[in-house]
Amino acid sequence: MSIVMKQVDKTYGEGATAVHALRGIDVEIPSGEFAVLLGPSGSGKTTALNLTGAIDDVTAGSLVVNGIDVTTLTTDEQIAYRRSEVGFIFQFFNLIPTLTAAENVELVAELTGHNGGDRAREVLKLVGLADRADHFPAQLSGGEQQRVAIARALAKEPPILLCDEPTGELDFETGRMILGLLRDLNRRNNQTVLLVTHNAAVGDMADRVLRLRSGMVVDDLRIDSPVEAQALTW
Amino acid sequence: MVSTLNRKLWRDIRRHRAQFIAVAVTVFLGVTMFVASYDSYLNLNASYQATFTEYRFANVTYVGGDVETLAGSVAVVDGVESVAVRTVADHPLQIGGVKMLGRVVGVPADQQADVNQLKVLEGSYLGVGDSVLVEEHMANHFDLRPGDTVDVLAGDNWIAAEVAGIVSSPEYIWPSRNRQELITTPDNFGVIFATEETARRLTETGPNELAVYFDGGAEDDGLLERLAPMATAAGSTADYTRAEQPSNAALSEDIKGFEEMAGFFPLLFLTAAGLASYVMISRLVHAQRPHIGAMLANGMTKRKVLRHYLGYGVVPGLVAAIPGAIAGALLARVITTFYTGLLSVPVTLIEFYPVNAVGGILFGVGAAFLAALAPALVASRIRPAEAMRGETPTGGGRISLLERIVPPLRRLPIRGRMPLRGIGRNPRRTIYTIVGVVLSLMLVLVSWGMIDTVNHLMNTQFIDIQQEDATVYFTGPVGPAEVEVLAGLDGIDSVEASLEVPVTLVAGVEAYDTALVALASNTQMHRFLSVDGDWLDLGSEGLLVGKAVGDLLGVEVGDPLEVQAGVVGASFTDEIAGFLDEPLGTLAYMSTERVEGLVGSGLPATSALIRYDEGLEGSDLRSEITALPSVAAFNDSKAMFDMMQQLMLLFYAFVGVMLVFGGAMAFALIFNAMSVNIAERRREVATLLAVGTDRRTISRLITTENLIVAIMGIPIGLVAGYYLSKAAMGTFSSDMFSFDLYVKPMTFVWASLAIVVVALVSQIPGLRAIRRISIPEVIKERAA
Repeated sequence: MSIVMKQVDKTYGEGATAVHALRGIDVEIPSGEFAVLLGPSGSGKTTALNLTGAIDDVTAGSLVVNGIDVTTLTTDEQIAYRRSEVGFIFQFFNLIPTLTAAENVELVAELTGHNGGDRAREVLKLVGLADRADHFPAQLSGGEQQRVAIARALAKEPPILLCDEPTGELDFETGRMILGLLRDLNRRNNQTVLLVTHNAAVGDMADRVLRLRSGMVVDDLRIDSPVEAQALTW
Repeated sequence: MVSTLNRKLWRDIRRHRAQFIAVAVTVFLGVTMFVASYDSYLNLNASYQATFTEYRFANVTYVGGDVETLAGSVAVVDGVESVAVRTVADHPLQIGGVKMLGRVVGVPADQQADVNQLKVLEGSYLGVGDSVLVEEHMANHFDLRPGDTVDVLAGDNWIAAEVAGIVSSPEYIWPSRNRQELITTPDNFGVIFATEETARRLTETGPNELAVYFDGGAEDDGLLERLAPMATAAGSTADYTRAEQPSNAALSEDIKGFEEMAGFFPLLFLTAAGLASYVMISRLVHAQRPHIGAMLANGMTKRKVLRHYLGYGVVPGLVAAIPGAIAGALLARVITTFYTGLLSVPVTLIEFYPVNAVGGILFGVGAAFLAALAPALVASRIRPAEAMRGETPTGGGRISLLERIVPPLRRLPIRGRMPLRGIGRNPRRTIYTIVGVVLSLMLVLVSWGMIDTVNHLMNTQFIDIQQEDATVYFTGPVGPAEVEVLAGLDGIDSVEASLEVPVTLVAGVEAYDTALVALASNTQMHRFLSVDGDWLDLGSEGLLVGKAVGDLLGVEVGDPLEVQAGVVGASFTDEIAGFLDEPLGTLAYMSTERVEGLVGSGLPATSALIRYDEGLEGSDLRSEITALPSVAAFNDSKAMFDMMQQLMLLFYAFVGVMLVFGGAMAFALIFNAMSVNIAERRREVATLLAVGTDRRTISRLITTENLIVAIMGIPIGLVAGYYLSKAAMGTFSSDMFSFDLYVKPMTFVWASLAIVVVALVSQIPGLRAIRRISIPEVIKERAA
């Protein structure tokens, strides 16, 4: 199993102001699966993603990723975990504006001991941006920026990709293209993909759709014949 | 009722309180310094003027010639209120076995003079007889009280005079012997006042000075011009106006510092406060673009938005400027009281100057208003639709200037390149941070430069130029035999005769009163530092004169200069052989041989310059030397040097405060720039953390970037600070003091290091904030 959540709780705040973002979630996601977390705002889908990425702490329960008990990690161990196990793709791309596309990727590649420059060119080629490598984020379209963000996530070859609303800031065509790219990577590299979205149509291309509401999984649907991203409409 | 916008304003200020406090503290310091310095200047000036009016301080004094006839003709001139004829002569004094140079000033018996009146501090004014009044500096030093005695040398006899009272005089608030000897030690020079009759008997001459007081004590250049030909006709050999009077000239130079300070330092602080405020409010407007867009979209007027964001400058400015003005006024009282007490100024006037307080508040609020104006205008001109789209550009990327200039830098690891790129990201903020560093360094260097300069000048004067261990003053002109007596004493290594005569240097219609010092052409007791920094030889050719003579008389090396020694009735003309750069006074030097050749006779000595045997000090020899009947006073160079160091303590305290203020200013400015820098990068920092970069690396990246910016400002600040210090020192230079700036190379190093330390320390709060960043919260933020 790639990701195993058992009775995971996440609560923000205390007492009367406490917000229960996740309530006793039980989820197991095998390696190489393309899973979509679907749900309205406040359903807990991003929280689940953040806990998996160890950028937030579990309040209660157990969360084991690739055999690592994420709940027991120290701050330094969390950093090491994020370097080796997961790659993040954010809704707002979050590229460093003062670094070129290649340098944004290189920065992450260097963290994991890769030859930054070579690795950056390699993954940018993979996402179809070889010719835009020396452009700064401000010189790239939204879709191109998200592809750089994907390249950045891929640079350290993580077994798991965590994508938080990766198409949220993109137009329809670009969104489909990005989803296609993620699916392609998932198949080619056997990387586990956990994708958060509120767009129900995206679930049609996944291996599995987990619906969340009020911090609980209300539906766990396996898709036997996922469609290609290009066939999606919304 | 507080409007919603005002509540927002207060809450925003509270939320960013550290940055607003930094701005407020800088405004507070700027306004405090302005009001304190300007009020102090006005208070001190008023105290001096009140003293001058109350004690009828002479507007002009004529020396020599037929002063009684002159008095008769001057007294009837329109605009002259009073005249006083008097006898003034230098006589050795002896108090408790200590011989010293003294001055006896004649005053009327039973009643105060019409000009230059005295304030009796203790005892009573003079009656008929030989009792004397003692000037308070000397009285305090020797703990003299009415009924004690002071010995005065008259001819060859020491005459004991009873002290009738202790007095202060407008002429000796700062007890200078003359313009060339502004600084004296109380055991080397003192003043006593005797009845005019006693003074004439002691000096065995008639009256030699005429002090003139104009109507109401008001300065009147036209009247001075009308009196000048009358003085010339009466044979006056010298004159000095109130402004030229040694004590007043020294005090005027001193309080001028407060006036200079009232302009320069507050300007520096308020500029710094303005920059810090601008940086902060710009960031606020940037971060609140969506909110501003929403406000405008909902019908809020641009004017209201403009007013709202101006409030971020004006409110902290006002909150800081009002207490700043109050603190300044209170501080001015303390400074004035302390200062007039220290100098024993007879009249102390302390007033509250509402114009200064209001001016200070207006300057403080004005600086804050101007700082807020540009970002507030930006806020009011925001296009709602664009602003509400959320993501706002934080500066497009580009290869940094440094990488372009030094291409190998492009091969640095990404973490090396990031700080370089960050610098150019917000050029305006980078420039303001650099300006902040420059301003801070200017303040630090001006203060530190003063210490270096004064120390250097003292070392130049007392170690490099003056080679003697002590000066022994004779009771009158003596021949070689008396000088030889000194050479024969145990503990004396070498002795040289010196003649010092008051002279007037004349070039065409311009004249300058000073003293001529004649020393052996091969003197080993005095070195002659030229304005070019070379050591000149006194030799036997021409005059070596202080550099101020060149400016005052418009003469150059090689020009002839007439030397009029009125006291000895001699006059001759000689060429200027060189200009000297001597820190204290503006004297003229000639070799004894040369003067003897020009006047056609052998020269006596008025003093002897001596060196002790190795290991001896002045205290070992003072009593033996002063016991000699021909000796009037003994001036130990080291004691003089030590006393000047003591005088400097107050100055060091002032400079220390300036340095602390400079540090605070630098901290406020850099802290705000750094805080904004870090606040603007929250999402980047969160992203870096999310991808696995550790916080230490991120802190290092930000620290490096900020340090590079600070360091970029250092060379500019050092150059600007140097030239500013030079200009500041120039304002204190005169013929009495030569304040040529000298800054030790290590001062530049320490000042630079201090800025680096301040830059490092000011980052700590921002870097702590990095530790508190919530990654999931920040990476989901829509606006930067």
